[in-house]
Amino acid sequence: MKTAHEIRPGNVIMLNGSPWVVQKTETTRSGRNAAIVKLKLKNVLIDSSTESTFKGEDKLEDIILERLECTYSYFADPMFVFMDSEYNQYDVEADNLGDAAAYIVDGMEDVCHVTFYEGKAISVELPITIAREVTYTEPSARGDTSGKVMKPATVSGGATLSVADFVKTGDMIEIDTRTNEFKKRV
Amino acid sequence: MTAGSENQHWDIFCAVVDNYGDIGVTWRLARQLAHEYQLSINLWVDDLHSFSHILPQLNPANPVQCFHGVEIRQWNTPLDIPFSPGRVIIEAFACDLPTNVLERLIEQHQSAGEKPPLWLNLEYLSAETWVDGCHALPSLQTSGLKKFFYFPGFTSKTGGLICEKELSSQRERWQSNPNHKMALFEQLGLSGIEQDDMLISIFSYETPALEALCELWQSSPQKIHALLPLGRALNSLSRWLPCTVEDLVSGQKIVHKNLTLHILPMTDQQDFDRLLWSCDVNIVRGEDSFLRAQWAAKPMIWHIYPQEDDYHLIKLEAFMQVYCDNLAPEITKIWSKLNLAFNIDDKKMVNTYWQKLNSVNKPLLKHAQEWPIHALNDADLASRLVQFVKNS
Repeated sequence: MKTAHEIRPGNVIMLNGSPWVVQKTETTRSGRNAAIVKLKLKNVLIDSSTESTFKGEDKLEDIILERLECTYSYFADPMFVFMDSEYNQYDVEADNLGDAAAYIVDGMEDVCHVTFYEGKAISVELPITIAREVTYTEPSARGDTSGKVMKPATVSGGATLSVADFVKTGDMIEIDTRTNEFKKRV
Repeated sequence: MTAGSENQHWDIFCAVVDNYGDIGVTWRLARQLAHEYQLSINLWVDDLHSFSHILPQLNPANPVQCFHGVEIRQWNTPLDIPFSPGRVIIEAFACDLPTNVLERLIEQHQSAGEKPPLWLNLEYLSAETWVDGCHALPSLQTSGLKKFFYFPGFTSKTGGLICEKELSSQRERWQSNPNHKMALFEQLGLSGIEQDDMLISIFSYETPALEALCELWQSSPQKIHALLPLGRALNSLSRWLPCTVEDLVSGQKIVHKNLTLHILPMTDQQDFDRLLWSCDVNIVRGEDSFLRAQWAAKPMIWHIYPQEDDYHLIKLEAFMQVYCDNLAPEITKIWSKLNLAFNIDDKKMVNTYWQKLNSVNKPLLKHAQEWPIHALNDADLASRLVQFVKNS
């Protein structure tokens, strides 16, 4: 069991007797510090999607399916193709990557986990920390160096997130893929 | 959904975390649902003693009692009053339902001939934009049960705001006659207040900002009366008190030049509303008094419940943006900076922006008077909730 707060895109959870792949997670804070987690879920069996909300401490049954370490190989529309260490290739539908799709870039060397259900690759989990290049962000507005003032940025792959005000276009930054949060400049 | 129908009642569970916030909100909602929609409501409360502060007729020793059409039940752990599921079950502010209640719901879910009640988690009020996307979403439980997150809020995509149908007309009637407030002050045991004196209610948490304001107020050319109930705000004013907070008594007056601090007795919710209607500025906190201050149609300062990593400032900013949407930039700036300063304990900034408030008092008051209609978005929380249940 995992708490809803610990669930990540790519995890598969069991709800009402069906396996659901988590495509997207959004954590927000309610009153008195309680976390609220919104999950975008896709039913693995009947190919339908839904959104569901949980308290951060709600226990969810994550199911352990076959997982392989793979690296991204190439995109063959509409499939992202991943490859394991023995050069076997696995097609993953773009839809099944959820938010992770916005961090997929050609030539990336991040070791990902591809999850299988009845032989079919159903999700991809990125490493917790990845490094990406900032492809666009506004110049620093206030000259803040503390890291507390944030501004929006787009990184290679197309994901957008908040970064520290001192980050510039062209910088490499570390990102926590569990929360889509900027960690530091590298 | 008719009153008295055995299995059509609603159960509302409330765990009291601070003294008056959670129970304040749930009690208002329960009463409104019973009164305006003739629903049979069971309100389960784990701390009847705290509840009795805002409902003085309540006997904390009595496990089941009825007021204003609401059956109030003592929620002990384990639950020792028989629970029978009705049409709706609400867990207020994400409190965990008692184990035997959950077991009963699961039993119903697994039984072919029974349908469990509609299960709702009534969440905290927030003006943040994410609320629109989370309101009314299901929460699929591993047991197979489905719970819905019900978010109060300021847009038509949220669950709305608690506001009784007659509240606005009651408030207008009250404010149209200054004798009403004078009678209330007399009833509350407050003396020495003239009709044209400035009145400020203070129901905040502890903050040094209060000291900064008292410094200003005592030198004000106008007489100022600060009305404070016995409670947390007074902890910040120990230097201004002749005795310890514990030794203060309601009705006590403490005079510092042109500032008089009045110690208020505890009041029920109706008199608390009237107090807010009667003051020129209300300093409020949390959720219940925060909302009631908006319905008072008077300028206010919101002392928001502090959260880790200063997350409450994000919530404050979200509200200020919504509240100031149609407000002139210079007024927005003064009012927002004053609220921010109060919440970050910045005495100097509080001092600066309180003084600037004088220059925008009239348009800010006009905005406060127009705000309730704008905030309600045509439907209050109870009516949206009843509709949500009908549609489910």
